[in-house]
Amino acid sequence: MSNLEKSTPEFKVEEIHIHNRKNKIKESTGYKVFTVVNTIIMILIAFATLYPFLYLVSQSFSSKEAIIAGHTSLIPKGFNIDTYIYVIKGQHNNYEFLRYYGNTILYTVIGTVLSLFFSCMLAYPLSKNKLKINRFLSPFVIFTMYFGGGLIANYVLILKLELKDTMWGFILPMLISTYYVILMRSFFMNIPKDLEEAGEIDGLNKFGVFWHIARPLSTPIIATMTLFYAVMYWNNWFNAKLYLQDKKKWPVAYYLQTIIRGGGGASDPDAEQMSANIKSCAMVLTVLPIICVYPFIQRYYVQGMMLGGVKE
Amino acid sequence: MKTTTLKKLSCIGLAVSMLSGFVACNKNTEEETSSEATTIPDQIETTEDPDANLPYTYGLGKTFHADQPVTYTMFFSDASWYPMVDTWKTEGIFKEIENRTNVTLDIKSYDSGDYMDNITLDINAGNAAYIIPKIYDDSAFVDGGAIVPISDYVDKMPYYTDFYNTYNLADDIKTITRANGKYYKLPGMKEANLINYSFVIRKDIWDAAGVDVVELQKDWDWAEFLDALQKVKKYMVAQGMCSESDYIWSDLWCGNESGQGSGGNLLGVMGSTYEVNAGWNIGNGMRYDQASDKYIFSPTTDNFKQFVTTANSFVAAGILDPETFTQDDATATAKYYSGKTAIMSINQGQWANYEENMTAQLGAGNFENYVITIPVGTTNNSTVAPERLENGVMISQKALDELGEDGFIQMLRFVDWLFYSHEAYDLTKWGIEGVHYDVVDGQKVLKDGFCCGGLGYGNDAEGSMTDIRLQWGYAGGNFWYGGTVAEMTDNLIPPVADYVNRDAEYRDTPPLAPGIAPTADQNEEINLIATPLISNVNSWTLKFITGQEDINAKWDEYVKSCEDLNAQGLVDIYAQLYKGK
Amino acid sequence: MSKKKENQEQIQQELQEEILEEVQDEAVAEWSPKQITRRKRALKDFRVNWQLYLMVIVPVIYYVIFRYVPMFGNILAFRKYNSGGSIFGTGPLTLKYFKQFITSKPFWQAFSNTLILNGLYLIVRFPLTLIFALLINEIRNLHWKKFVQTVSYLPHFISMVIVCGMIKELLSTSGPINALIASWGGEKIPFISLAQWFRTIFVTSGVWQSLGWGTILYLAAMTGINPSLYEAATVDGASHFQKVIHVTIPCILPTIATLLILDIGGLVGSGGAFEKVYLLGNPMTAETSEIVSTYVYKMGVESGNMNFATAVGLFEGLINLILLTCANVVSRKVAKTSLW
Repeated sequence: MSNLEKSTPEFKVEEIHIHNRKNKIKESTGYKVFTVVNTIIMILIAFATLYPFLYLVSQSFSSKEAIIAGHTSLIPKGFNIDTYIYVIKGQHNNYEFLRYYGNTILYTVIGTVLSLFFSCMLAYPLSKNKLKINRFLSPFVIFTMYFGGGLIANYVLILKLELKDTMWGFILPMLISTYYVILMRSFFMNIPKDLEEAGEIDGLNKFGVFWHIARPLSTPIIATMTLFYAVMYWNNWFNAKLYLQDKKKWPVAYYLQTIIRGGGGASDPDAEQMSANIKSCAMVLTVLPIICVYPFIQRYYVQGMMLGGVKE
Repeated sequence: MKTTTLKKLSCIGLAVSMLSGFVACNKNTEEETSSEATTIPDQIETTEDPDANLPYTYGLGKTFHADQPVTYTMFFSDASWYPMVDTWKTEGIFKEIENRTNVTLDIKSYDSGDYMDNITLDINAGNAAYIIPKIYDDSAFVDGGAIVPISDYVDKMPYYTDFYNTYNLADDIKTITRANGKYYKLPGMKEANLINYSFVIRKDIWDAAGVDVVELQKDWDWAEFLDALQKVKKYMVAQGMCSESDYIWSDLWCGNESGQGSGGNLLGVMGSTYEVNAGWNIGNGMRYDQASDKYIFSPTTDNFKQFVTTANSFVAAGILDPETFTQDDATATAKYYSGKTAIMSINQGQWANYEENMTAQLGAGNFENYVITIPVGTTNNSTVAPERLENGVMISQKALDELGEDGFIQMLRFVDWLFYSHEAYDLTKWGIEGVHYDVVDGQKVLKDGFCCGGLGYGNDAEGSMTDIRLQWGYAGGNFWYGGTVAEMTDNLIPPVADYVNRDAEYRDTPPLAPGIAPTADQNEEINLIATPLISNVNSWTLKFITGQEDINAKWDEYVKSCEDLNAQGLVDIYAQLYKGK
Repeated sequence: MSKKKENQEQIQQELQEEILEEVQDEAVAEWSPKQITRRKRALKDFRVNWQLYLMVIVPVIYYVIFRYVPMFGNILAFRKYNSGGSIFGTGPLTLKYFKQFITSKPFWQAFSNTLILNGLYLIVRFPLTLIFALLINEIRNLHWKKFVQTVSYLPHFISMVIVCGMIKELLSTSGPINALIASWGGEKIPFISLAQWFRTIFVTSGVWQSLGWGTILYLAAMTGINPSLYEAATVDGASHFQKVIHVTIPCILPTIATLLILDIGGLVGSGGAFEKVYLLGNPMTAETSEIVSTYVYKMGVESGNMNFATAVGLFEGLINLILLTCANVVSRKVAKTSLW
């Protein structure tokens, strides 16, 4: 954590244009105090946000004995990487963790691509106010945000479609997120109309306008959605619990859930609990890709959310 | 404008769903026809098929074998601490079953933690496997029509009938019989109940503290037990093994995970010495009271109050860690392994595991484990459950529909062999004789190079042995339970056998409660009342015990809260059900 | 003014232009604008936009199959379901299941817990997010600002499994929070198993998860504020603090109002709460942690009372729908923005 504090950039109070001289002196002292306080608050918030992650990392590198003894600091005690090796190798040395990881990557990539594609397909026409069908289509789509059929009905549907225990059983139930579609629609609405019209004059058809004009202009929202969908697929475990029975098809999030939860309780009293360092280690490994990726797309999703205009 | 469309749309949606309801309504429905109530016979007559040309061999003493290869689907509860791997199918237990019977089991496995949730979904959605093992409570399924009332067919099952008749299980079976006189699961059956759960102590420390546990345990009650623990703690504090503020009893199987918020094993055990349902045994709280010959709601009785008072005294005395009821099992075992605590729960299967871990941490010879006989509450009865039944197997209606009557009976005979024959029992528990184990002087022993935590054979320090459970799926929890006393004890190593024997010697066998048979509707009602009621009981119980609420001051409020949740409703249903006898 | 409002105006303008345009188009084709029939309009609409219609076909089919077909399962709230039987139930329609839960105490407890948890969360989170956004807005060093933002967005992307796993680790009696309490000489607290702590944990962790993310829209609105407003305030001799009160906040008021209204509309819904309560709650905390959606799961999947669970679920869905629709209408009236 000391690193963080060191890296804290020096705070510079920028000169603001103030005409009244007397005011200026008064303002700058008051303002300086404020900025110092503000900086401290920000440091605290940043620390509080990062602390749980750093704690996890520390636990994952600590020895089992140290954790049992109640080791709680942010510096690993009894530093070792055995836990990582154990988690990755698995009980049977069959590297099952990597398989779950691979599954997650596969589902995330395929799911995200399809989700993006179909969400665009839906959101773009929805963004055209003059399209007659939207009077019907908008409520048709939005209604599903608040009203659903319940677990059993959804489960039976997946069974009847014979999607259970396939990758599609995992992906399809969340293929199109209505909320994200609405975000995209709002963004598409902001695309300057004259550009699209110019495209039509140049002889593009509606689809061509979407592909050659709207799409390139929509990088922020598409990047945002890529991130959102990818995170959604990466993190989902409940669909896996319901629809993926074969362990070989599990995504890592569900595996993680079974580790964290532990054994089956009363029905299986000789269940063995995973120790805290193993849990921490699996959590770190699972969360790592997200931590590595999201900051680089920040510019886009800030923009995307901004223009999307609604909040979760 | 758009909102109105939305409203219209939702109205249409509703209307359509209503309509489809009315339409389908005309199709007449089969009410649960409880025509002639079959009574449970004391002895079942087996019906031999006169037709000798069956496409399979079966029979008492014979191995089931199908002439043509067949495949049956089966659910499987997959434990994450010995997860199923492909080798189980290619060279392990399932392959061997196939070799002997020509039956391939098509396994649909779910993680053990989600097993009940997922199979409930599957069964409800009409996606059940033919064979559904590891069922403890079948009441959620019986009225749905998805499960075969297996009592109609047990006469086709020679091994089952043989066990049933030999050990007179009719009364036990009556406890799982439903209102229509049928039962829906093939339970694991035991010749007699043996104690499984008890407490292991660090005998070296207890001895050093001057507590003669071997003598004391014969008839000690909980107060004497607490005295003993206090002596042990005093000694441990004096020796610097722990501080005054530490707890020397921090138990496992009671936390959120294993204990399911009910206080798990510890309260279950302690409660049964007070003749109340608690912890894992809470069920729906209803318990048969011998004295009044009635079913009573036990969590509001005086006995229950005594029981929580006792349990609380351990916490209040600074002996029992209140964390017990929330912590992970791993935390509890870690404390015991490292010598921070001097007592912990144990079951037969865990002895070897404990020894192995403690040898690794403390070094051989630096500790001595000993399993105590459980203290006495209001009764000298053993804490073993009176019913000699275990979790069991349900057969889905789908099997009957898809296989036809003959194919179905063929499958039943396979199930019969798999779950009730001695041959299959040995196979699923020990592996293949001569390959994985030998019989020496009538005792089964694993061959060199093999280990199995579940059977009490620990691995060596280098981990060089092959675990027959991890590798091939033998000794797994889906198959072996119940059986004869000889079978149940064939893996007990001396210290475990010793406490099993002591329990049988010092404690009495609890009486069997008369069976009651709720109808489907009553079951639903019981379920609806019991689910919230029992959460309420559990949460109060734990608060009383951990001292968050004062027992004497709040007892009435607690009883009132149970009454508000209609505990009387349960009592009424049971009264209605039982008076008929 | 805020971008959103501009957008809104722009869209309205567009709409008017379009109508005008259309009318002119048709007038050219038909020579008598008054007789344009709806059908012809629709036809023309289709002729011009058929590619757009083509685009939505697959998504619409998707919505029908995966969203609308399962809704028929709600019929189980009115008819007995036999496991493995028809998903639409059998037997006569009945209101028995509604009666059962309306008179059941645990349901109302779950219902009030839902309101309390969501309400508390809203009350705590909403002002904090706003204040945090204002504070971020005051940071002048761009690198530092970006760093704070990036860090504070992180929890939003973390799976609930991990969030709850972390909460359990941090709050366990051997975890750092209790180590801190112990070092101050306090008694260790088993937070996870105490009903009175559940709300605090739920709200605090919720704020931790959403604090940074929630600021995005405020910050966006703030960047949209016309700098001349600040200059004018400066000329008037306003202090920095006064400028925040008199310029920044009024300018982002529509955003605040919209978000608030939509949040209020979502009070009954479970949103992300199901996962969290499912993963974090336990029977010991049930009196404060059980919410409607976990109650439905418990009754339906764990105890197999499908009809009962469906009835409760349907009831929840309807209330939810009504509230959100109202919220949206209010939002449109008051703040001139809405979700649809």
